[in-house]
Amino acid sequence: MKSFNLVKLAIAAMVLGAISFAFAAAPQKITVKGSDTLVILAQKWAEEYMKTNSAVTIQVTGGGSGVGISALINGATDIANASRKMKPTEKEKLKARYNTLGVEVACAKDGITVYLNPANKVKELSIKQLGDIFKGTITNWKEVGGADQAIKLYGRENSSGTYVFFQENVVKGDYATSCQTLPGTAAVVNAVKKDPNGIGYGGAAYSEGIEICKVKIDDKSQAYKASAETIKNNQYPITRYLYMYLANRPTGEIKKYIDWILSAEGQKLVVEMGYFPVK
Amino acid sequence: MKFHFLILGILLIVLSLNLRGQEVITSDKITEMNEQLNGLLERVATNESDLSKLTKIKISGYMQAQYQKFESPALLPTSNNYFALRRVRVKFTYEATDGVKFVLQPDFAPGALALKDAYVILNDRWTKAFSITMGKFNRPNYEVEYSSSQRELPERSSVIRAIYPGERAIGAKLEFNPQNTPIHMQLAVFNGSEDLKINNSAGSNLNSNENKDYDNFKDVMARVTYNLRLGNFGGLDFGAHGYFGKLKSMATTTYLSDYTTVKSANIGDGIARSWGGAEFQLFADVLGGLSVKGEYIAGKNASIGFTPSGTTLGVANFQNKFAGYYLYFIKNLGKKNQFALRYDYYDPNTDIKDKDIAISGYAATATLAKKMSGKSDLATSTLGLAFHHYFDDNLRITLAYDIVQNEKVGTSGKVVDNYTTAAGVAGTMDWSNAINQNVMTLRIQAKF
Repeated sequence: MKSFNLVKLAIAAMVLGAISFAFAAAPQKITVKGSDTLVILAQKWAEEYMKTNSAVTIQVTGGGSGVGISALINGATDIANASRKMKPTEKEKLKARYNTLGVEVACAKDGITVYLNPANKVKELSIKQLGDIFKGTITNWKEVGGADQAIKLYGRENSSGTYVFFQENVVKGDYATSCQTLPGTAAVVNAVKKDPNGIGYGGAAYSEGIEICKVKIDDKSQAYKASAETIKNNQYPITRYLYMYLANRPTGEIKKYIDWILSAEGQKLVVEMGYFPVK
Repeated sequence: MKFHFLILGILLIVLSLNLRGQEVITSDKITEMNEQLNGLLERVATNESDLSKLTKIKISGYMQAQYQKFESPALLPTSNNYFALRRVRVKFTYEATDGVKFVLQPDFAPGALALKDAYVILNDRWTKAFSITMGKFNRPNYEVEYSSSQRELPERSSVIRAIYPGERAIGAKLEFNPQNTPIHMQLAVFNGSEDLKINNSAGSNLNSNENKDYDNFKDVMARVTYNLRLGNFGGLDFGAHGYFGKLKSMATTTYLSDYTTVKSANIGDGIARSWGGAEFQLFADVLGGLSVKGEYIAGKNASIGFTPSGTTLGVANFQNKFAGYYLYFIKNLGKKNQFALRYDYYDPNTDIKDKDIAISGYAATATLAKKMSGKSDLATSTLGLAFHHYFDDNLRITLAYDIVQNEKVGTSGKVVDNYTTAAGVAGTMDWSNAINQNVMTLRIQAKF
């Protein structure tokens, strides 16, 4: 080591430092990818922000939380939208690729809504009953007070954050193999609308024109529908934060955009679009 | 008039019959289509069920194609520059049910087809904190477990390559990795003799069966790490690991690394191989991300000899004190580029210093001639520099240069390597000098 020229090394390090400044220039185009639950809100944010910031282009696409986080790790997006927290394995990949721990921004709250067909006699279920239904342990509506009909399950693909959150917090095991996976919450809602014996889950923002199932923690608890009030008061039992993930601390236009999302103006759109504000 | 009524009546009858016929046809058509739809739905359900089984299988992998130029003259006359496929790996992961995973990873590199990983992991479903792994898998060490596809320098540090040859071992591992708690513990039991050559007096490798242990001693390895979050700045991971193992003695003598202490041993005795290490990884979100990582490992390693037979001179067991460390500095330059610098040092024998190596005094007590100090006792330091460009999601291009420095023998001509170049020019490398062993690597990695 003695024979290495330390002065030359120091100069090289300084040059590389200067290059890193140059590379760190903030972009005018912001790409956002990920959660399908969050996509309609993210599109609305982008649309409204671009109206007053015409120099910035914001491109929003869905695909699911897992897809968004993978894109963030691969450098294919600036912001990954996720309806679940980053997994430890994903954090390790981010560390390996960017040498950072990533930045997590909670941007909205959501209640995972359980959808039922309006013709269904069942109007409320406990977390355990929901878990058993989606595990395939309960297979007939009569077992939970409904008609003598086989239960039809509709859910999301495993790249979806909603799929993961619902599995970890409600199903607590493997989904039944009979659960039909659909690409997006809108597709789940449509399927349940058409199927009198159907049951599905998804974000609260998609619940128009469908029966919302009341959910209770256990048989002794009171059942609640997902609403601004029950989510704010932590009464509705399947509540979660929605996140935006970045590889580095935001700077430039990305920082301005995130600050705007968290401002009163951005959070007003959260409510307008059927989600719940973080503050 | 009557005729007109008759015609009208006939027409009405025909029309009504036709309508009834159409109704019957429409109703039949609906029933038929309904049946077809039900059939299709049934097929979709079957296909979905089959597809859900397929989604349990994940296939990933990577390939590293590279060109390397070695500056060491000793590599001639074979080749000191060549193209090679360093890795051609496909990893199959099958998640049978929640918490049960099988992993199979062969390496298809030309001339080196090998099964790298083959293990099953059972995760505890209740607390989700414990898991048991059994099969062939990476030994629990930071640089060993850090995939070659992610590593910032082309090869692992010298000390890691020396003490964990082949990186993998066959055994079982218990992991404690509680959710929402930044601690991670690993406890592993291995055969422990993986990738070691243990020759008998005839020169045959007694440890050639990769799927079987060479002896009855099992090696134990433990590692604990803790992840400390440093607010918006980044995070610090730190930890320690220990290795406690033995190899069965095939000789009646064991030399210690000072070459003066000679211990008698029985055939079948366990010769200890044990060491400990401390590690840290600092990640900082500064100007696009940087990290500083390091590890220091020291302890006793051992190699196994054999007893003299007939005219064959025996070789004593050898137990050497060693030490080594590495220090990385990695800086991301925007999203697409990364610069890495690593200094690593490995001294395979800390009991004997450069100037004393191969001095006859150190061999004076050696009754078994091969146990003299020599080139294998020399320390090596390497300064590695690498620049990576991430071409897209799957491709990484790396240009790296390793500057290797050797510890020098004190007396000129005491330790030499003779060689002949392709042009027939004879040369000698005298290890009392600095020998040029630098390596340039240009690598393209494709990952999927």
